[in-house]
Amino acid sequence: MELLLLFISTVLINNFVLSRFLGICPFLGVSKKIEVAFSMGLAATFVMTLSAIATWLVQHYILMPFGMERFLQYGAFILVIAALVQFVEMFLKKTSPALYQSLGIFLPLITTNCAILGFALLSALNGYGLVTSTVFGFGAGVGFTLAISLMAGLRENMEFGDVPEPFKGIPITLITAAIMSMAFMGFSGLIAM
Amino acid sequence: MKASYALFNGLWRENPTFRLVLGMCPTLAVTNAAANGLSMGLATAFVLVGSNMMVAALKKVIPDEVRIPAYVIIIATFVTIADLALAAFFPEMYKVLGLFIPLIVVNCIILARAEAFAAKNTVFMSALDGLGMGLGFTWALTFLGIIREIIGMGSVFGINLFGEGFVSWIIFILPPGAFLTLGLILAFFNAMLSKKKKVQCS
Amino acid sequence: MKNLTVKLIIVLALISVGSGFFLALTYVYTIPHIEANAARDQEIAILETIPGAVSFEEIRGTDFPMYKGLDDGGKTVGFSYMVEGGGFQGMIGLMVGVDPEQEIITGVKLLSHAETPGLGARIGEEAFLGQFLQKPVSDNFEVRDDVDGVTGATVSSKAVATTLKRTLPQALEQYRVSGGAK
Repeated sequence: MELLLLFISTVLINNFVLSRFLGICPFLGVSKKIEVAFSMGLAATFVMTLSAIATWLVQHYILMPFGMERFLQYGAFILVIAALVQFVEMFLKKTSPALYQSLGIFLPLITTNCAILGFALLSALNGYGLVTSTVFGFGAGVGFTLAISLMAGLRENMEFGDVPEPFKGIPITLITAAIMSMAFMGFSGLIAM
Repeated sequence: MKASYALFNGLWRENPTFRLVLGMCPTLAVTNAAANGLSMGLATAFVLVGSNMMVAALKKVIPDEVRIPAYVIIIATFVTIADLALAAFFPEMYKVLGLFIPLIVVNCIILARAEAFAAKNTVFMSALDGLGMGLGFTWALTFLGIIREIIGMGSVFGINLFGEGFVSWIIFILPPGAFLTLGLILAFFNAMLSKKKKVQCS
Repeated sequence: MKNLTVKLIIVLALISVGSGFFLALTYVYTIPHIEANAARDQEIAILETIPGAVSFEEIRGTDFPMYKGLDDGGKTVGFSYMVEGGGFQGMIGLMVGVDPEQEIITGVKLLSHAETPGLGARIGEEAFLGQFLQKPVSDNFEVRDDVDGVTGATVSSKAVATTLKRTLPQALEQYRVSGGAK
């Protein structure tokens, strides 16, 4: 039950993109087409869920026993995430060329997606257990997918709108994001924690 | 290339925030007050100068194949130093900026400057480039912070401007206000620049 | 090919070792300051919620982190405890000072929160927290009844009131059982 609440609150209330400002770069850059945005979201969710497990193991079995979590955490986490992304890429290439075709080009971009490092650090900061941390990572990924897909849907329609010249591109996307973020604020207080 | 070019490039011509639109996460997240934007900018500038110099110094030693992981380790090192120093000497600021200090590691500006500038230039020029880019980022964040703080709280750097009667637009210090302010500023710069271009053409 | 791989590994390893070395140095140099900051924050929070206290002692074996405040003669003048309660967007951490003799609150301090800036975050202001001073532990703690909520932040105000109501009797009980009165 608590895990379900954590999941819903991560997806809707504390949405990584719209209220925590994590993963803004792909949110602005890769949100022109719904299919592309959705694939990006899937790839990120996949890597986030895996890196939830990997960073938890690194935190609890490598960093903490040696008392190094305070000063080697950032470096260790980013390297784990980068290595994981590489590994997932190689694995997909070998086993599932179809999936690799659709997700492959996004995987390298994910390493610098701050949502992933941000979530790993948040999870360590909150002292979540392995299962909680995995659910949190999955929820964060789903929330990211939701936000980026919604944004892509809006942008596809805006293609036909008469946007004033200076607003074209990133400015109008930001203003749309502002309105989406306001809508998502309506979810806060949905769950009494 | 002249030293002054390297230094001033980041302030406006290739300003990371307003022209290159890089490093958006901290830009949006910590600019709900002027002081927060300023300190986040300075922390980023410190990491930029440090990692740029280190990358430039080691550019002959690092083989091409592993340059990205090597840069990431260097950047993570400087970020951790900044993080520890802030926690030790500016605890109040550290509490506000919190999670966004470690996230400097994945700020695209830093890796981009290491790859595009420091890997090809001398230590001195790279330091200037890092400083220029860092200060460009700092003024952009402080500018956003000032606007959002004035509208959202009626104050600048915590100093009240309008007295008790001012009804603040709280939305500006909430997440939507971050998107809105940056969107409007970028559109404003676009409009300004396109006018200039037209004048030049005629 | 093999030589190259070896070279790559050596270079990366050297960079990692160098980085680890510098970080360890920085850590050793900064950690006393970081710990002193945390200790000072805790001390300020405890002493501010117990009037007349100049030093404090941790009480062991309680459900909450609990501290008793001592005056300059070493006499116990009250206790305070740390508690978390669910707010609008996340947990609200409070330090609550209590006078166990008169069973009144002697101070409430906001330690951590994730409430909306400008609205919910105003529960940290004196105008809100000040009203709990001298309030009897057995009171109602209902917003709109005996607690004035912050305008536009009813949920956050209620969260503080409910957390206090829920934990105060428990804390008082534990303080007595654990022999804090000694």
